[in-house]
Amino acid sequence: MWNYFASIAADSALNQWIAETYWLWPVLEIIHFIGLTLMLGGLIVVDLHMAGHLPKLKASNTHQLLPLVVLGFALNLITGVLFFYGDPGRYSINIGFQVKMVLVMIAGLNAMFYHWKVSPIMLAHGEAGTRPMLVRCTAYTSLTMWFGVLLAGRLIPYVGTG
Amino acid sequence: MLSVLENSSVAIWVGESLYAYPGLLACHIVGLATIAGIYAMRDLKLLGFFPDVDGGVFLQLNKLALCGFTINAISGFLLFISQASYLSTSVPFLSKLTCIAIAMLLSWRIQKLLQATSISAAPALIVDNTGKIMAAASLALWIGAIIAGRLIAYIF
Repeated sequence: MWNYFASIAADSALNQWIAETYWLWPVLEIIHFIGLTLMLGGLIVVDLHMAGHLPKLKASNTHQLLPLVVLGFALNLITGVLFFYGDPGRYSINIGFQVKMVLVMIAGLNAMFYHWKVSPIMLAHGEAGTRPMLVRCTAYTSLTMWFGVLLAGRLIPYVGTG
Repeated sequence: MLSVLENSSVAIWVGESLYAYPGLLACHIVGLATIAGIYAMRDLKLLGFFPDVDGGVFLQLNKLALCGFTINAISGFLLFISQASYLSTSVPFLSKLTCIAIAMLLSWRIQKLLQATSISAAPALIVDNTGKIMAAASLALWIGAIIAGRLIAYIF
C-alpha cells in the first residue's frame, strides 16, 4: 500500500517543490511539533479526566478542548502528508513510519469508539464514583497510542526499512 | 569544562551507542509533549479559552508537567554532553535554553496566580491583564523553544 502511495508522490510537482525548497522541511517540522503539542496537551486533560484522575472537571467541560485537539491533528495530518510527498522513498519502507501509521489508525478507531459508545456512558454515569472499566480503558488506550505515535515518529530517522 | 563533559564515559556512550541517542530523543519528545502541552492548555485557559473548564485542574496537572520537565532536563543534559562544544556555540540551542528558563520562571508565577484565583473563582477563572500577559508570554516562549529546538539541526 505504502509503495503505491510512494509511486504517486514520487516526481510529482509537490514532491519537487518540497525537495527543492530548502527552508520548507524545517518549517514543516516546527508546525508538526506545535501540532503534536496542542494535540497531546488537550488529550492529556481529556483522557486523564476520562480515567478519573481529574475529579474537578465535568465531562461536558472537557469537550471544549476537543476543537484544539482536532486542530493539532489537522496540522499534523497536513504536514505529515507533505513529509511523505517530500521523501516518499524513505517513508514508504520505513518501519518506524509504518508502526506510527498503525498506532494512528488504532487511536483513530479508539476515538470513534469513544464518540459513539463511551461518551454516552460517561454522560449517563456522571461524575460520582469510580469510572466504568470501559471508559478507563478507552482513555488509557488513547494516551498509550498517541505517546506511541510520538515515539515511533521520533525514531523514523534511526530505524531501518520494513 | 565542556571537553571534560564531552570526553566523559557517559557522553561517549551517548555518542557511540546504537540506542542511546535515539532513545534519549524519544524520551525528549515525550517530555516536550507533556510539559509544553499541559502549559499550552493552561495558558490558553488563562487567555479566555475553554471558559467552562475548571482552572484549578491545571494545579493538579502541574506535577505531571514537572515530570515532563524532569524527563527533558535529564535527557536534554545527556544529549547536550555528547556534543557539548558544538552546542555551546549554537544560537538556536542557546535561544531554546533561554526561552525555557524564562518560561519556567513565568510558570512559577502563573501557578501562584492559579492558586490564588482558582479557589475563589472556579471554574470561571477571571484573571487580570497581568495574568493574561504572563500567559501569552509563556505560550510564546514555549513555541519559541520548539522553533529553536527544531532549528538546532539546521542552523550551524
